This record gives sequence, C-alpha cells and structure tokens, in this order.
Amino acid sequence: MPLLENTGRRMRGGQGMLPGFSHLAYAPSRGGFDEMTGADGALRPHWRDFAENLSDLSRPEMRARWDRGQRLIRDNGVTYNVYGDPEGMDRPWQLDPLPLLMDGKEWAGIEAALKQRATLLTLILADLYGPQRLLTDGKLPPALVFGNPGFLRPLHGAGVGSGASAVRPLQFYAADLARSPDGGWWVLGDRTEAPSGAGYALENRIIVSRVLPDFYRGTNVHRLAGWFLKARDALIGMAPRNPDNPRVVLLTPGPYNETYFEHAYLARYMGLTLVEGEDLTVRENRVYLKTMEGLKPVDVILRRTDGGFCDPLDLRGDSTLGVPGLVGAVQAGTVAVANGLGSGLVESPAFMPFLPGLCRHLLGEPLKLPGVASWWCGQERELAYVLENLHRLAIRPAFSVQAPVVNAGRLSKAERAKLADRIKADPIRWVAQESVTLSTAPAWTGDRLETRAVTVRAHVVLTRNGPEVLPGGLTRTAAPGSLSVSMQEGGGSKDTWVLSDEPVPAVSLLSSRAAPAKTVRGSRDLPSRVADNTFWLGRYLERCEDTTRLLRAAISRTAEGAAGGGDPELETVLGLFAVMGHIGLDDPRADHEAQDERVRELLIRNMDDAAFIGLRGTIHNMQRTATIVRDRLSLDTWRGINRLDDRLLALGPGENVDPDDALAALNETIMLLSALSGLASENMTRGPGWRFMDIGRRLERALHALDLASTLLLAPDGELGPALDLVLDVSDSIMTYRARYLAAPQVMPVADLLLSDESNPRSLGFQLARLMEHCDALSAYRPDRMFTPEQRIIMSLLTGVRTLDLSVLTLEDDAAPGEVRLGDLIGTMRSGLWDFSETLTRQYFVHAAEVSEPPSAFVELLATKERGA
Amino acid sequence: MSGADEKKTPTRAAASATATGAPPGAAPSDAAASDAATSDAARAAAAAAADPRAAVTYRVTHETRYDYSQPVTISHHLAHLRPRNLATQQVHRHRLSVTPRPSTMTERRDYFGNAACYFTLEETHDELRAVADSLVTVAPPRLPDPDGTPPWESVRDMVRDTRRRDLLDACQYTFASPNVPLPAEVRDLAAESFPPDRPLLEAVLDLTARIHADFSYDPAATTVATPLAEVLAERRGVCQDFAHLQIACLRALGLPARYVSGYVLSRSLDEIDRVLEGADASHAWVSVYLPDGGWIDVDPTNDKLPTREHVTVAWGRDFSDVSPLKGVMMGGGAHTVSVGVTVAPVPADAAEAAAPPAHQRRAERPEPTLQAEQQQQQRMGGADPLSP
Repeated sequence: MPLLENTGRRMRGGQGMLPGFSHLAYAPSRGGFDEMTGADGALRPHWRDFAENLSDLSRPEMRARWDRGQRLIRDNGVTYNVYGDPEGMDRPWQLDPLPLLMDGKEWAGIEAALKQRATLLTLILADLYGPQRLLTDGKLPPALVFGNPGFLRPLHGAGVGSGASAVRPLQFYAADLARSPDGGWWVLGDRTEAPSGAGYALENRIIVSRVLPDFYRGTNVHRLAGWFLKARDALIGMAPRNPDNPRVVLLTPGPYNETYFEHAYLARYMGLTLVEGEDLTVRENRVYLKTMEGLKPVDVILRRTDGGFCDPLDLRGDSTLGVPGLVGAVQAGTVAVANGLGSGLVESPAFMPFLPGLCRHLLGEPLKLPGVASWWCGQERELAYVLENLHRLAIRPAFSVQAPVVNAGRLSKAERAKLADRIKADPIRWVAQESVTLSTAPAWTGDRLETRAVTVRAHVVLTRNGPEVLPGGLTRTAAPGSLSVSMQEGGGSKDTWVLSDEPVPAVSLLSSRAAPAKTVRGSRDLPSRVADNTFWLGRYLERCEDTTRLLRAAISRTAEGAAGGGDPELETVLGLFAVMGHIGLDDPRADHEAQDERVRELLIRNMDDAAFIGLRGTIHNMQRTATIVRDRLSLDTWRGINRLDDRLLALGPGENVDPDDALAALNETIMLLSALSGLASENMTRGPGWRFMDIGRRLERALHALDLASTLLLAPDGELGPALDLVLDVSDSIMTYRARYLAAPQVMPVADLLLSDESNPRSLGFQLARLMEHCDALSAYRPDRMFTPEQRIIMSLLTGVRTLDLSVLTLEDDAAPGEVRLGDLIGTMRSGLWDFSETLTRQYFVHAAEVSEPPSAFVELLATKERGA
Repeated sequence: MSGADEKKTPTRAAASATATGAPPGAAPSDAAASDAATSDAARAAAAAAADPRAAVTYRVTHETRYDYSQPVTISHHLAHLRPRNLATQQVHRHRLSVTPRPSTMTERRDYFGNAACYFTLEETHDELRAVADSLVTVAPPRLPDPDGTPPWESVRDMVRDTRRRDLLDACQYTFASPNVPLPAEVRDLAAESFPPDRPLLEAVLDLTARIHADFSYDPAATTVATPLAEVLAERRGVCQDFAHLQIACLRALGLPARYVSGYVLSRSLDEIDRVLEGADASHAWVSVYLPDGGWIDVDPTNDKLPTREHVTVAWGRDFSDVSPLKGVMMGGGAHTVSVGVTVAPVPADAAEAAAPPAHQRRAERPEPTLQAEQQQQQRMGGADPLSP
C-alpha cells in the first residue's frame, strides 16, 4: 500500500485532510501554518517532488527505513543527556526521518537576516565590553548590562587596543527560528555563549541521507560540509601565533553535559583535540595542553563550557570545569577563545526588544527578521503592560536562555498573582514574550504521519570574509500536542533541507579539494587524562573477556557432574571465582546442590550492572570509560562497545537465567570482544593511544594468567587433573597442548604454556614481552635516555620468567632447597605488575584536578567547629 | 596606646580574607615586634590623637600562611592587597613578598580600578607565605552635614537609567551581586530608616546604627560562605556580613553601595579607649554614593564614619570581587590557613624615608622576594595607572 495514494495537489471539501493522507491521518491543524500543505490543502511547491517520492513508499517500507534510522542512531552512539533523570544519560537521539524542506529563495532571505543579526550582536558585544557608548548614548538601559550575570567584568577591556584587538568577541552564533501563522519567520531566541546543534544537524543529515538516499539524491539539497570547513578555517585563523600550524582544542565541560556527544563528534569531524578543563594548564600567561609528552602550547580554544565557568581564579570560584589563569592568558593575547569569554551577555532574552533600535543605530538599517514580541520588565511602561496582560504572555527570566518559559495563560489565577508578585519584586530579571503558535510539519511516528510543531536552529560562523550561514540546521519538533520545543522535555529533531534550483557541488572535510586545508596540529596529541582512560579501557576490555571465558567455563560444566558429587572442574572454577571475589569463599560441600547454588550466586553477581565486580558491572565501567575517550575510537569500535551488553541485558536478572541461554549469550559476547580486540590490533594507528590501550590489555591478561595459575594451588592434593584441564580450556590452549603433548595434562607443560611460553599469546611471558616493547617505545617520549622506572620493573619480571627453571617449580608449601614455590612466583609477579601500574600512573597520567581554593570557607567551618561554637 | 598593645579582639579572619579561615589571633611574624617599633607607634598615635584633623601614617602588615597536608605542585593566586591611592589616602610603599618564590607575578588593574596581583607557584611546596607590607598615610575626609544631603529618592532616581558616565559608574552598584542577593526582608529592614524625603546620609547613618544595635558581632557565628539569609535569621555576624547586609538594604532601595575591603586600627584615635572590631584581619565596610560629594564610607561593624582609622585596599560589588587572597591549587590535600594583620601608626617622617629613588629600592630588595610593584611598573611603563 503506498504511503500516499494520491499526490493530489488539492484536497476535497476543505476537510483538513489530504486525500492521500487520509489513512495516515495527516491532518494539519486548521488556522495554523503547515510547512507541507497550504491553507487550501494544496502541497506547497517545494514539497511536491518530495511528497511524490513519499507516496511511492509503502507503509512497511517506510517502517523498515525508520528502523534503519534508529539503528544508525544507536550504532553511531548519537545521544543527548537529559539532566536530573537517572535514566537520562546517553538517551538516544530522537530523529524523525522526514526532513523539513526549506525553499531556496525563502532561505536566502533568512540567510541575509542571520548575517545581519550576527554582525549586530558582534557590534553590541564589542561596545559593551569596550567603550559602552550604547549606555552613554542611552540606547540601552544600564540594568541590562550591570544587572546581568552574563556580563563578565574581568573581560571588560580585554582585547581592546592591543594586538588582540583583531579578535572578534563572536565567532559562532545560532538563532532559533519559527514561522508565524501568517507565514513569516521570526527569531525566538539568540545563542551567543556556546551555540550547540550544528554537530547534531550534521549527524542528522548523515543518517537521513542514508534512510532516504533516493530522496536525497533526487533533490538538490545544499550540503553542510563546506560550512564546517569554513568554521575550521575560521578557528585556525584566530590563532595569535603559529598561523600555519596552530593547536586548536575543543573545551568541553565533560561527558555529563547534555550535548557531550556533539562535542566529541565535532572534535573528530574537525580534527580538534577534545579537552576538559583539567587537561589545560596556564604557565606564564600561556595555555598548555597536558599531554603524556609534556606541555604543548594551545593557540585556539573552541569553547563549549559557559564563560563564567572557564576560570575559577577570575570568574566563578566554584567552577571545577575551568582553567585557572585563562582570563589572564586571554588578556595577554596569547590564546584565542571562541566564542570570546563573556559573549553570552547578548543572548539574554532581555536584549530582544532593543535589537530593532540598536540595528538602526549601529548598522543604519532596519532589522531584517523580527524577534518574537518581547517586553523587558525593567522599564516602567513595559512592566505595566506585562502585568496587565499577563494571561496572554509567556514569562521567562531576562538573563538566562536555559530557564524554562512559563506560559502565564495556563496558570491558575492564584499562581498568576504569585508570578506577578515575583516580577514586581525584581522587574529587571523578567521578560515577557508573546505566546507564539509554531508552524507544523509532518513527522513519521513509526506507523503513520502526524503533525509536529517545529523550530529551526540556524548557525552562523563569523569568518574573516564575513558571516557564513550553515545551509541547513537543526529542526526541533515539539513533544506530541505541545507547542513549545525542548530537547530536555522530550522533543525530537529533523534534518533541514535547504533546496536549490541547481545541482549542488559535494564538499567533504575528508576530500577537501576545494581548498587545501591547513593541518591542525594537536589532533594527534594525547592528553594525559585520555591516556589514562585509554589504558583503563584496555584493562576493562580484557577483564570482560577473561570474566566471560571463566563464566562460560563454569556454566558449561553445570550439567556435567557425576551423579551425587559435584563436577571437580566446576569446583575449581568456582574456587577461582571465590578468590576473585565474585562469590562467597566458604562452602565446603562440593555436591551438585551446593554447586548449583553457587553458580546461581555467580550469575546474579555477573548480571548485575551496578556491581563493581562482575561481568556486566565491568562492561558498564568499560562503556563509561569509552564514553570519555569516544572521540578517539573508530565508529566500528564504538558500535561494538555499545552492543556488548545487549545480549546479556536481554537475559534479565541473574536469578532467572537459564544456563543454556546464558551460554549462548556468553559465546556471542566472546565473539564481540574478539572483534573489538581485532579492531584494536588491525585498525588502530600505532600511536600512544593504541599503546596505552594495549598496555592496559596486557597488564590485565598477565594478571589473569597468574589467577589461572593459582587454581593449581587450589586443587586438592593429587587431583590436579581438573584444574589443569580448566586452565587449558580458559586460556584457549587445549589445541596447542594436544598438538604438543598428546597426553593428559601435566603440571610442568601446562605451567610452561601458561607462564613461560612467549609464543602463546595468553601466557604471562607473552604479555611481559609486549609490555617491554611498549615501555621501550614510551621511553622515547622521556627526555633522558636512562631506563625508565617502568622499563626496569618489566625487565626484571620478564627476566624472572625467562630464567625460570620449570623443573624446580613446586606446588607444595614447604619447598625443598633449590625449589621455587609457585605461590611465591605468582606473588612476586603480581606485586611487580601492580608496581608497574602505579609507576605508569605516576609517570604519564597524573592530572590531579586543580582544586579550587576560594571556598576556604570549609577550612573556616572546621575551625569554627574546633572552637566548639 | 599602641599598635602592639592592641586588644586581640576575637575576629574571624575570614571575615574578609578569603585568605582565610584563619584561626584568630595568628600573630604576624615581625610587625611591631620590637620595642623600638612599639614606642614609635605609641608616639605617632599620641601625636595623631592630639590633632583630630591630622593625617596619620600607618605601617600595615598582612601575613597569610597556608600549610598543606599534601604537596602542592602548582598553584595560581589572585591577591587584592595593595592599598589604593585616593584623595585622602597616599600609598608610599607596598611590597608583597611570597615564599616560595613565584614563577610569575603580574599586577593588573581590575575592573573596579583595584590593583590585582596574580602570581603562580610552579615549584612543589607544602607551605605558602604571603606578606603584604604597606606604608600608607590617611587623611580625614571632609564629611558633609548629614542633614544637608539630598533626599534619598533623588539619588535613586538620578542613577537609575542614567546616561552620564560618572553616574553609570555608581549605577552598577545598585544591583544584586554574587554575595548580595536582594530578598524582600532587606527591603523591609531598610524601609524603617528611609521614610520619604529623608536626607540620604542621615538615613544611611540611621541604618548603620540600627544594624550595629540589632546584630551582634560574633566571629564564631558565620563563615565565608554564610549567606545573607542566615545572617538575617541569626542576627549575628562579622564585618563582612554586616557590610553585605547594609549593601543589600541600600541596593534594595535602588541606592548605589559598594563593598570596601581594607584594615582598621584596633583602638580608636579619636575616642580614647574605644576598641574597634575587625582589626586582627582585614576589615570590610560600605561605601555609599552621594551625588557631587562622591562616595562616602560607613562602617556598620563599628557604627562609625571612617575618618583616618581605616585603610582602604580595594572595592567592588561585594567580597567576591575583592577577596584579599585566593588561589586554585593542584594537590594540597587538607590545609590550614592563618592570617595576621597589624596596623601600626608610625611617625610621619617614616613616609618620606619610605620613598627612596627607584634604583635604591631595587638594590635593597631581599631575594627571593618579588616586588609586585616593580613588575607592575615594567608592565605598565612606570606610570601609576592605579590611582583613580
């Protein structure tokens, strides 16, 4: 059944429903403005081709495409964090496959208006952080600036008159646009602090163009990549030094920020190093990136952290996201920050009503795109109007774009009176806006088309050659039935297609033949924090694999025991799990029943993703660590990591898991883990990132080999057989052993295979030899040519293994003279490896947070208590 | 009566020293330690007491010491310790000595015109000592007759929505700031002192007296982080709290009020035997805008119009703009801070002796002290950009 049976241009009888849409119930609300259909029910001209294509799709096909889109979102890890919701971390991105179509000519008008607005806001910022003539000329009331927390006083005068004067306060600007019922566009709000959304717009494009490739190819849609190229060049062009090879970083507040996905995505796409505040340090008024190779000077910072949080010394003292001394570096002109610190001032909604006047004053022309009608309550006449018309207005804080808008019309009378009192108590902090009716567009809900209110976030980059508008943008849709749009409150998004009459040239950052891109130094820098997390990612991945193999060994043996007595191999593996802390230690019984209980306990532990020890807990930690270094992982790796938990999650809580299901899930998990290690060994550049990940893996596997060896000590006297079998099985060495020995496992050959044999990729010796190579490679980063401490540790361990005479190895507690106790050997190796881990941390990862001092209130509190007051 | 003789009033150092949190009574190391200094101070104080119109010269020593339980590998600090040059106040000498030796030390003029000294320690240390040593002469201001000041509403209306640059400067002190919210209670508190048409200064002095009478000075009551609401509820606090409270009252009425950080002499020169609160650490008071007459200071902690017993260091919207010393450090663990301040009158000729030619000054500078002044001059071309 075609989705649109009829692409009829007109509908019958004005019933508010297109004939072809009737079974899909696409019914644009009457009186509003629908993007696809006119008031007469006809398709708008620029939607016709698209709608025709759509009508060729059957409903199941549409559904299949939608599913593909969902999978791409999941696989690409496109997420959005919702605050204050424990389930809100990494919520999958909500994307509707149907784009919003924009007529090219109409867009040209919007484009010109956005350029004008970006220029205007730049001029206002430059004045308010400089001579403040807008205040002395009476163009702006002083309260708008001095009563505004967005006015960062330490930045006043920064960059004026010095060499840094060429730096514009605004590089990136975004505007939220909406269409009024009469069809004209207006601006709902400005974003000048650190505009988000361009990265999501790009990701939406990539997904939608794969869900609707036929539509996309058949339509002249303006490409987005060129704008990002210009944005990158603009950033490079800001560098106060190293103009040919600047180091550009993207400063993010961290993985808990709502748009962290976008930060990591843009950093990768534009080739910037993603850093958090603690990765940067200021020395002698210069900003440096802390890398494992030492401090590297930073020239440009693309900032996604709010200005006030960027320097705990000069700005908000309680910030843990900032870089102490950054303001000083900015004032000294040694680093460029985009957007400039303090740029958020003019995104205050309170500025909106003044923009038409300021535009005439500063640019000598009328404002091209109106803002939604706004009244700032800091003026007497406006305040009186707002209080009188409160029931028809939307109220929002004057100095914050984040705070929600309150539709006063929906409040009860008492609530409205309370709101009026709050406004009267501090009028400068409130703005009223006309309640707007948004236009609607069709959205696919999984099985049918529905209308959704839409707004468009459009993006501008200010380059040396003037403002450039992204030909597209992030269209956001309201939650069903709602007319206000917020990603925090369950809204969705769409791609935005700006149509052209002519074919559009393709541009990509990867094949930028158009303009030879300057290389951005720094994309290869490895911040110490990232090195640390990469190391742990390697450890967690290996720990997942080791645990999965052991679990498989346990569960596959649950049904094998002889009647009455428990299975001796199962007993051995349970013993090892007990040593590892997965299950309780003391259960002397070794019968079936006891074993079943312990296996159940084991499953419960390992299926609990909140447990620190256990498979799903480790996967959880591994995924969290991976999130932190996401910009350094290939898409395939990220997908694999994302999916790792799926099968286990599907098993449900450990209490009810069927062993056969568990076995199947564990087998699949091992395959995925193998794929991940294959990706790491075959697809990762042999840079320091790979090296630290591999060090983590080798270290963990070496410790695991020692754990396995210790099972030989757990076995009761004379019953080594089960333990030896288990060791060979878990270490994947049965085939090797059989090929070599053709006999039942014996202690010495198994110990050789597990400990000494450097040709066995699961042996201790193999891991130590790899670690030695890594240490040698890392020593090249260190200034002196002496052996590094970590080199010395590994060298000593490796020598110990290589010189070990297996014939003198004993499992007994009381060793004869000349014999080496296995227990001692394991202990020495284990403590050596722990030393190695600690040394590595000291040498490369130390990045203790710079603790903010000003609230020495805490010290004072203690002092007060000591006085017994 | 002498500087060394001062009563150790139990003062919460943190009152205005972020620095702070210092347990009270931490004695400064060297100031006023010798008998000679003591007798000099006594003579100078006696001379000042004899002539209430005479300018007084002080040597102010402000020592802050951090002891860290864990080594600090790098720390960044911001100090507001250099007294300002004013029509009634002349700074002859100021030196900030920091141990261990900072790797960088630069002085900039901040948004409010204060000297802000930034320094960074890059060598590992577990103790930081910063000593600010200043020689300052303070002359009593000409105080207007409170009855003759304009009605308070006229001042409010004058600064609101002004375009005049001088009034804009005052206007920016009429809004809420990080430590000074403007809850409804403060408006009510202020209203009683501000009936219609009352002359501004008369009303301000009434408010000052009421705060002094209704709130008790209690160094144990609050911390640096105590919010205004708690001070209002508990009716007790220290100089920083009273300053914030009075500022809030004035701003709630639309009047410009700023926060002044500085020092106060421990024993009044003008009123024999009167002990002034807030002397062991840096002190804080309030400055109110009077049109044409400029700013006039009031000290709610001591219910006093400062004359020549207060040394002004810096001003801003509230404490957060001018905390004497703050820092951000890596490592450090738990730490203790001690602050000691001594304000000692010195003979007037000490001021002249304190200003030797520049080359001598450089020669006598002991290592490893870095002289912020010199750094500043190097940066700013030798001018004194800090005098208003």
